Amino acid sequence: MRILQSWLKKYITFRMPPAQLADRLTMLGLEFEGVERLGEKYEGFAIGEVRQVSPHPNADRLSVCEVNIGEETLTVVCGAPNVSPGQKVPVATVGATVPQNQHDPDGKPFVLSRTSIRGVESQGMICSEYELDLGKDADGILVLDQSARVGQPLADYLGLDDVGFDIEVTPNRPDWLSHIGVAREIGVLVGRKPKLPAVRLRECTTPIRKFLTVQVEDPENCPRFAARMIRGVRIGPSPQWLQKALRGVGLRPHNNVVDVSNYVMLESGHPMHAFDYRLLKGGTIRVRQAMPGTRFVTLDGKAHTLPEGAVMVCDAEREVAIAGIMGGANSEISDETTDVVLEAAYWSPSSIRRTAKTLGISTDASQRFERGADPNGPRYALDRAAELILECAGGTLLKGIIDVYPKKVRPRKLRLRPARVNALLGTTLSRAKVIACLRLLDIKAVGIGQGDLLCTVPTYRVDIQQEIDLIEEVARVHGYDRIEEKTGANIDFSHRLTSSDTADRVRRALVGSGFHEAITNSMVNGELARQEGSTPVRILNPQNAEMAFLRTSLLPGLLEALRKNLSHDISTLRFFEIGHVFSLAAGEKGSFVENFNELERVCILMAGLSEPPHWERQRRSVDIFDMKGEVAGFLKKIGLDKWRLISYSTSDGLTDNSLAVEIEGSTAGYLGRVGDRTRDLFDLKEDVFVAEFDLALLERHATRRYVPLPRYPKVKRDVAFVVDRDLSAGDLEHVIREACGELLYSVELFDVYEGDAVGERKKSIAYSLEFLSRERTLTDQAIEAAMQETVRTVRERLGGELRGAH
Amino acid sequence: MIILQTSMKARIEQTRARAAADIDNVRNSAQLEEFRITYLARKGEVASLFELLKTVSPEERPSIGKSLNELRTFVQGRYDDRQKALAAGSLGPAPADFTLPGRDRFVGSQHPLTRTLDEIKSIFLSLGFSIADGPEIEDDYHNFGALNFPPDHPARDMQDTFFLSRTGLLRTHTSPVQIRVMEEHSPPVRVIMPGKVYRNEAINARSYCMFHQVEGLCVDKGVSFSELKGTLISFIKQFYGPGLKYKFRPTFFPFTEPSADIYITCFICGGTGCRTCKMSGWLEILGCGMVHPNVFRSVGYDPERFTGYAFGMGIERIAMLRHGIDDIRLFFENDLRFLQQF
Repeated sequence: MRILQSWLKKYITFRMPPAQLADRLTMLGLEFEGVERLGEKYEGFAIGEVRQVSPHPNADRLSVCEVNIGEETLTVVCGAPNVSPGQKVPVATVGATVPQNQHDPDGKPFVLSRTSIRGVESQGMICSEYELDLGKDADGILVLDQSARVGQPLADYLGLDDVGFDIEVTPNRPDWLSHIGVAREIGVLVGRKPKLPAVRLRECTTPIRKFLTVQVEDPENCPRFAARMIRGVRIGPSPQWLQKALRGVGLRPHNNVVDVSNYVMLESGHPMHAFDYRLLKGGTIRVRQAMPGTRFVTLDGKAHTLPEGAVMVCDAEREVAIAGIMGGANSEISDETTDVVLEAAYWSPSSIRRTAKTLGISTDASQRFERGADPNGPRYALDRAAELILECAGGTLLKGIIDVYPKKVRPRKLRLRPARVNALLGTTLSRAKVIACLRLLDIKAVGIGQGDLLCTVPTYRVDIQQEIDLIEEVARVHGYDRIEEKTGANIDFSHRLTSSDTADRVRRALVGSGFHEAITNSMVNGELARQEGSTPVRILNPQNAEMAFLRTSLLPGLLEALRKNLSHDISTLRFFEIGHVFSLAAGEKGSFVENFNELERVCILMAGLSEPPHWERQRRSVDIFDMKGEVAGFLKKIGLDKWRLISYSTSDGLTDNSLAVEIEGSTAGYLGRVGDRTRDLFDLKEDVFVAEFDLALLERHATRRYVPLPRYPKVKRDVAFVVDRDLSAGDLEHVIREACGELLYSVELFDVYEGDAVGERKKSIAYSLEFLSRERTLTDQAIEAAMQETVRTVRERLGGELRGAH
Repeated sequence: MIILQTSMKARIEQTRARAAADIDNVRNSAQLEEFRITYLARKGEVASLFELLKTVSPEERPSIGKSLNELRTFVQGRYDDRQKALAAGSLGPAPADFTLPGRDRFVGSQHPLTRTLDEIKSIFLSLGFSIADGPEIEDDYHNFGALNFPPDHPARDMQDTFFLSRTGLLRTHTSPVQIRVMEEHSPPVRVIMPGKVYRNEAINARSYCMFHQVEGLCVDKGVSFSELKGTLISFIKQFYGPGLKYKFRPTFFPFTEPSADIYITCFICGGTGCRTCKMSGWLEILGCGMVHPNVFRSVGYDPERFTGYAFGMGIERIAMLRHGIDDIRLFFENDLRFLQQF
């Protein structure tokens, strides 16, 4: 909201320069976002009087003018057809920045220089409305009112000798949405209360009740409805001071009656509405809820379908305004209006907010009512508006006010314990100091025994509802910066909150293995969200279709990152991401929130070369065994031993040729090659390998127990088996481990061979086996026995033959 | 003749020096043979010098001849030594060209956001805080209701929300984790809660629809605003450096009261005013306040017995300020050229 310095000074005197005022109020909690000297734009522009106009000696369409700008008289070449002696005109002097250039297609500003136009030197420029950015008229110069003073800066003439403050008001302080509200806060700084205008009204003898009746049928949502009426007004433009004030805060003036109601809102914070009495059927106002589905045209010309619960101001027959939000086109003030009904009401904040939200309308009025207006504000607003309308538009004020206000809202009384203030803030404020802080805010505090205070809170302070709100006020006025800093934390905890550090360990392990950590958007499009197979969560109000679902896997995000990097010619990529994935939990309880599953995962992605290129090394693209190795190393690094891989073939899902990773009996994730269909979605040509794990399952590792170091030597034996080509190495190793029994210490596969030497459809797999006993030195016989048992078992169970023992 | 004699002596000396240097470079038998041919063969350098003896004057001949014999003995001796050393294999291989590239390994990187978060976490861990986390899909109660956002209150407009169902939504801040922690544990509580949050805001260089926060909560008997200030200033000094100025500005959050924004001297311009601090000389870095009694009531804590403070900060903003990153979207594009810088 914009606040004018000159407007504030009507209520309170202060001498602080604007920047200091802004800073100090900001430190009180009223944030000043900007300070603007309004006249800045018109520096170097003055009011001039055209003394003499003579034809240009070398150009038919130009004239040479002598213009008096006070201190000097300038010779100005002018091309406007409407220039003539005696006019008061805006003159740009050399060096001034003309806001809009008439000869530039974009109207860009330009700096005026001393130039010679067809042989005559021009020392300035008489400007058009367009050039001054005051309107659209570019056909001729702007001729000012004769009352304009020669030599006066143009900014002053335009009423721009002022400072505009842009304030950002937090939603708890609707009372700050007005000049008087801001003046009250300045009062805290300067230790004075603002002075409100003394309203003097002359009413006629005819009572308002003779013309108008008001019935409130929804007192819950309309606790107060007050009205005044003025007859015989003359609608017209507002006087200069009023127009200036409104323009200064960025509002366009309409007519005197509407302008006054806006002015009073900006002054007092209380929104008002003016009706044309002759358009109110039956001289009646009824406040009731809308019939859902009714069409209603607001005064901005837009048609709305009224929702259920919308509170409406109606006449005897129809709706005439959406209460507290916007008036109707059917009863608005027009040039023909002579009799005006002024409304100032108090509406229930939640009702206004619901209706405004549903209709998608936000107005100055709705913003104030939904945050909470002062229920005791209407009286002042009506009187003040009536006074100003009589002054600006004439007419006769009918006697009295219609005020339907069955349950008067009295100032809230709250107990405040100064001891509590000090305990909560860590201060040692005296009771008198607390009282003094509150007094600056117009909160009266009186003793009620035991040192406690009873505080009376003005009704415009809708945010103060309990003791803590008063404590905040004391803290604010006393100054946050004056509260001492202490660190006397007594750290004594019986329990430790353990968020898992699994994510941290996983991250360290993967960064150490040469992977880059990525963070991708959790919101993806429907196609990607459905790839994984679970039912994705849909966002009801997405920004766009590309971000309409929550991810079900981390893979699509990383593939997108891969695609982007490929476009920068980076093709070797090793990425990982740790993040949450989501799905709908049909019929299940959900992990935290009903109907939703949420899991933390880690995803590893590899593409491109298997190793960084080196002149001596042969280049090779990554394959599944690289990924397997990375996964094995990674699981080992984070302390997991008991896991195995299970092949499963899938054609749906994100990958093909996948392996499930099973940890202690439950599937913790998968690794594999990204499927062609998925790759196509990202336009990826090369193979991409991926592994994805549920973090919670990686967490289930036991604390590692130390195993005593072996005291006896290991014995090594190499062995090779010739087996069917289709037999998997994993199955063979499994059998070897079983057969060797507990003496076996390690198994290392060191060769796989297929060829003539082993025969058709056969292969040879060679292992290096290490044996160890923790009780004794192993004898040759013991190892021989284990080897024989192994050879026998492999032959019997897998049909494999010994190729040769070394 | 004197000149010749001098030059003969000089040439003998030069040959001796060259041979001494060359023999050190001999690493294999081929090089040794090369050495022999150069110096000791019939047409080698030593023999050629003997040839020149004829040209020396008779008076000088004995002395030059003696020097020549000494040279031959020296070179032959070095040759023999080298031959023995080679046979015994006591010489190492030839020095390689160490300027050739080494065998690189892949070097990984931690995302700048988790790196920043790690630093924040380690400071708060040292201040006695533990770490907790919570879900990104929240319900209206935990995200708003329990945090003292009344239904139909404009305070809800402060955070544009992505909705998933009638009550389900993407959390707009990490504050709901406060509620979950207090629902589970009784005081004392001293915990930080990092995580992702979502806001339905326009995407541009300054704002993204998803970002990260760290939330903090401390509840115990006798916790005051004064302690809030002390603790957070201790954090700020550890994180941003001990010398900077700071200020606490009153503001409004529904779930804390009194509430404050903490500003520090802009470390980009040193407080003189720049684009980053919007010419104010100050940077807003943290929101905080005393836990609102209504929040305690909603988790069943007695606000008369316990008091506490809460705070929150945005990780992206901090990382952007620290590293001079001018576009928030870079964090989520995962351009390797960006990630590799951290």
